[in-house]
Amino acid sequence: MRTRATLAWLVTLCAGAAADEAFVTNQLSGDVSVIDLASGRTVATLALGGKPAGIAMTPDGARAYASSPEGKYVSVIDTAARTVVARIAVEGGPLGIAVHPDGAPVYVADWYNARLFVVDPAAGRVTGTIATGLSPSGVAVSPDGRLVLTADRDADQVSVIAAASLERVATIRTGVRPFGVTIDAAGARAYTANVGSDDVSVIDLAARTEIARVKVGKRPYAVALAQGRGFVTDQYSQTVSVFDLATLQPLAAIEVGEYPEGIEASRDGTRVYVANWESNGLSVIDTQTLKVIGTYKTGDGPRAFGSFLRVTP
Amino acid sequence: MNTRRFWLAALATAIPLAALAHGPTRQKTVVTVEINAAPEKVWAVIGNFQDMSWHPAVQKTEGKGGNGEGATRVLTLGPGALVAEEINKYDAAKMMYSYKITEVDIKVLPVTNYSSTITVTPMEGGKSSVEWKGAFYRGFPNNDPPPELSDEAAVKAIAGVYQSGLDALKKKVETGS
Repeated sequence: MRTRATLAWLVTLCAGAAADEAFVTNQLSGDVSVIDLASGRTVATLALGGKPAGIAMTPDGARAYASSPEGKYVSVIDTAARTVVARIAVEGGPLGIAVHPDGAPVYVADWYNARLFVVDPAAGRVTGTIATGLSPSGVAVSPDGRLVLTADRDADQVSVIAAASLERVATIRTGVRPFGVTIDAAGARAYTANVGSDDVSVIDLAARTEIARVKVGKRPYAVALAQGRGFVTDQYSQTVSVFDLATLQPLAAIEVGEYPEGIEASRDGTRVYVANWESNGLSVIDTQTLKVIGTYKTGDGPRAFGSFLRVTP
Repeated sequence: MNTRRFWLAALATAIPLAALAHGPTRQKTVVTVEINAAPEKVWAVIGNFQDMSWHPAVQKTEGKGGNGEGATRVLTLGPGALVAEEINKYDAAKMMYSYKITEVDIKVLPVTNYSSTITVTPMEGGKSSVEWKGAFYRGFPNNDPPPELSDEAAVKAIAGVYQSGLDALKKKVETGS
């Protein structure tokens, strides 16, 4: 009887919860596709303009921030209402973007001018600026909220910034031209995808040093982590390279769509989602079988550079 | 050392520029042509990465590595106008290959970080479709480009290369010339 009651309760709970969603920035069509990840259907398309590329989701999934490097602004998206509620002007070429685990502030890298902006989304303006290396691209914040990393592409390094003081406290050498940067859930390691040397740098954050390089496919873009594995989009190989996070040995190269770019793991780690810039699709990878189990349609030129998955309440 | 040799030597020693800083928005260009001939016949003309003589703008192809991954070629378009390219992926069964430009002067082609894929697909009635598509950034690596190095200029230049190449390919295969 008790089992049956529990089951009934579970069924009710599942029926009430909406499916998770992907907010995919489409740079060429200038919008964001909101994709229901259970059905694969696009449930809304939000016009942003300004060639949107980067995206950051708040941990509670209430807000998404999308960067428009050509338009020089960040769009603030109310994810539940599926509307753009504000536009924040950011100088230079705002591209890489990340949000603090507390939900604010938002960090935006200026691709052209070697700096990271601190944006207060409530005030709707830039409140701080930190110098980085050349062409900062990917941005990541440690789970404890203390450190902000930028992948400084044309300086072959990662800048480590203390979130409290907004001072750069270290730079870490990487492979050639790191683009995306991802920090693990423990806040112990960071991984950069190195566009120029076709590998991934493994960084020990406590020691502030690169401890290994893992060879992947051609022109890697970004890294996702799930089930003790690293998943790397290889733009020119049109694959996702998979490696073991413990042994750092390669496990597979999964054929995905053309020109794979933004990549992120679902919160439960069972799926990895990949935006394919050339073929306008979102590939769904089963992280156990390492197979593509679906491809959902997006707008034109999806980049989804950053955290684009929303866990719905 | 003649001019061509000088350029080849310079290309061989140059630092690869393909991953240099670039503009904010990668561009897409796709041109497709339908050819009244079997796919195998079309593939026989374009399938050899070391011979791009089917394109009217290409005066000479020189390279190494055949059609293997990492194979390279240098296309001569005119005096001092060279394009160095490298295979990313080659699949004879699917009749497709993709490659990137590793070195080109923006005066020759106003693009950076260029990659491209060419594919032959069978169609009904024994015909073929050839799709040539490119991904690239404009020649100017910053905001507010001059007009000759804008997104539009880059797309126009590449679309022109593709259209003239595919028109010539169609003519060559269909007339057997």
